[in-house]
Amino acid sequence: MKKAFAVLVALALVAGLMIGCKAAPATLTLAQGKPEIDAMLKAYAAEWGKANGIEVTIKSIGGSSNISLGQQLKADYAAGDMPDIFGINGPEDYKEWQAIVADLSAEKWVAKTSVAFTYEGKVYGFPVAVEGWGMAYNKDLLDKAGIDPATLNSFGAYEAAFAKLDGMKAELGVDSVVSMAAAADMGWVTAHHNFNSLLSNGLPYGDTSVADALIAGKVDATRLAEYADWVELLFKYADKKVLTTGNYDSQVGAFATGKAVFLHQGNWTDPNMAQANATFAMGFAPHGSMKAVTDGIFVSAPSFYVVNSESKNKKAALKFLEDLALTEAGAKYMVQEAGMIPAFAGISLNPAGQLSKSVQQWSAAGKVYSWNQYLFSGDFRDKTLAPIYNQFANGAIDKAQFIALMTDAFVSRK
Amino acid sequence: MRARAENKLVFWLFLAPALFAFVMVILVPFGLGVWYSFTNWSSSPRTGAGIAFVGLDNFVRSFRDPSFLYSFTITTAYTIVNVALVNVVAFALALLVTSAIRFRNFYRAGFFVPNLIGGLILGYIWQFIFNNAIPSLGELVGIAAWSEPANLMLARSPTAILAIVIAGTWQYAGYIMVIYVAALENVPVELHEAAQIDGASPWQRLRAVTLPMVSQAFTITLFLTLVNSFKQFDTNTSLTNGGPSAMFMGKPIFGTELLAMNIYNTAFISNDLAMGQARAVIFFLVIALISTAQVRANKKREIEL
Repeated sequence: MKKAFAVLVALALVAGLMIGCKAAPATLTLAQGKPEIDAMLKAYAAEWGKANGIEVTIKSIGGSSNISLGQQLKADYAAGDMPDIFGINGPEDYKEWQAIVADLSAEKWVAKTSVAFTYEGKVYGFPVAVEGWGMAYNKDLLDKAGIDPATLNSFGAYEAAFAKLDGMKAELGVDSVVSMAAAADMGWVTAHHNFNSLLSNGLPYGDTSVADALIAGKVDATRLAEYADWVELLFKYADKKVLTTGNYDSQVGAFATGKAVFLHQGNWTDPNMAQANATFAMGFAPHGSMKAVTDGIFVSAPSFYVVNSESKNKKAALKFLEDLALTEAGAKYMVQEAGMIPAFAGISLNPAGQLSKSVQQWSAAGKVYSWNQYLFSGDFRDKTLAPIYNQFANGAIDKAQFIALMTDAFVSRK
Repeated sequence: MRARAENKLVFWLFLAPALFAFVMVILVPFGLGVWYSFTNWSSSPRTGAGIAFVGLDNFVRSFRDPSFLYSFTITTAYTIVNVALVNVVAFALALLVTSAIRFRNFYRAGFFVPNLIGGLILGYIWQFIFNNAIPSLGELVGIAAWSEPANLMLARSPTAILAIVIAGTWQYAGYIMVIYVAALENVPVELHEAAQIDGASPWQRLRAVTLPMVSQAFTITLFLTLVNSFKQFDTNTSLTNGGPSAMFMGKPIFGTELLAMNIYNTAFISNDLAMGQARAVIFFLVIALISTAQVRANKKREIEL
């Protein structure tokens, strides 16, 4: 009798477990690489989840170079725990995950954007936001020094402006002219953002000819030499401490607190500016990586959400993206909460950040250059190029060696 | 006869859970790992690409890769310096806290506390000290050289390695100290008294009595510090993250990328999991060889009372 009872209890337990499994609420997991919008996205996802009866989990990875989204995704994939929606950064990332990225060509939002991620004619990626960078300047300080930011659009103009500002450091109350970071693990500033000046500055939008030639191992020596001048100029007028040992916080902090006139970063620093109560007027000026005038900044929709085609929650994932792009709540989250520049037509809201506004203005004027750095693998940029920039910043190599090492890196790229 | 068979059955039944766990979480993954090192395994789902056997290719390419050779060299150098420093400091601390000074229990606890802080956090703390605290201190006391950007410890790779050693010693010396303390307290007082009566100086007593009597502790501490230094990863990641860069064999490489980090970067940044696995196998063999040799050498010196 006792035994029979025990068996009954055991059966009831097992049955309970099985029912419990079936009754689990629908879930959706999104992994993305922008920690600065983590809180806002979580809030939006919670709202959306409540309305749709789906439990949404947001995983934000990144912000420091210790673990990137790509590394986390590889670990998740190996563990059989791949998110339903995850972020990618362009063709190299796409190729990494090609086998499990769903075709989104039939989605409604596709017609509303011109910057979705496409590959061989099919749409695969949902553009998260439009982003851009140039040389962020502190307009108040430039006014004091009598420099018009509109004139900053070539190497010569920057050379003169930097020299002038450097002579007025005490007067302006700044430590250095440029806030630039080139530590070996800050490769995303040097070997990603700065590197793109070499690849796309002055070229028509979408022109990849320079990058294609470099990928083929053909180096345009004149272009590289002019670019090396620009890198040297930036490093020369940068705060040496921030340059060689600084991280994102110290780099952005120097600019936000008015200790540097220029910042080598993009509009994603807007929330940091707000946090630091930076009230001075600011905007973006073009990079001066060429002797010729290059009147435009680097603008693109660099990161995309893709849907995991192996996911059981694919339907929910597609609806999540659709609502994000097409509903008012989605627009409100993207623009007002997260402060991003939306990549979709039909949204009339404007982001509050000054740098984001500046990107919008350049973009509206059509003065934009593409982001071509993602045509090179992250491995090549992080492990081959970043140390070269770091050596140059440390003063361990001179400009001629920098050019030689860069040339060698392209020629011997596997 | 039946009783023996039953005994055997009970023996295996009792062993089974532990054996099962050991096979599943140690032996199988280890065997798989070794197998993967001979393949072109990759974690990302590239279309149509299965796992293919490539023989020793991963090993050959590893030994041709300047970054791996460099990591090997500096990890060896780091290990030698770190083992020496940790043990010297730990032994000195142990002598201190077993002597008759006041508050010695307080010191014991104090020296041990850094060991309770995780290596990652500790790395960030020391990064702040090296990058911000020391320059600020230099400005305060008027030593301009301390705040000179070029003089920062983390700005040059040899000093950055030394910075990892300092942070590592600060963390680990307290732990090793505890082992030495236990050994020192077990040295019979009579031996010291006898030596004292024979007129031995404190230095002679340390060399002729204390050191031989604690040689068992040396076997353990040297093994622990050796293996730990070789496997250094967390403090390396948070303190320097491989930077600053250096030149090696004509290639710019990461100047403080120790072996464990090199393996990690190969596997997860270069997406070459199989190559990372091959390096991990090499890493395993080297650690196993060195530590076995070390334990054997130390064992010979041990004294049994």
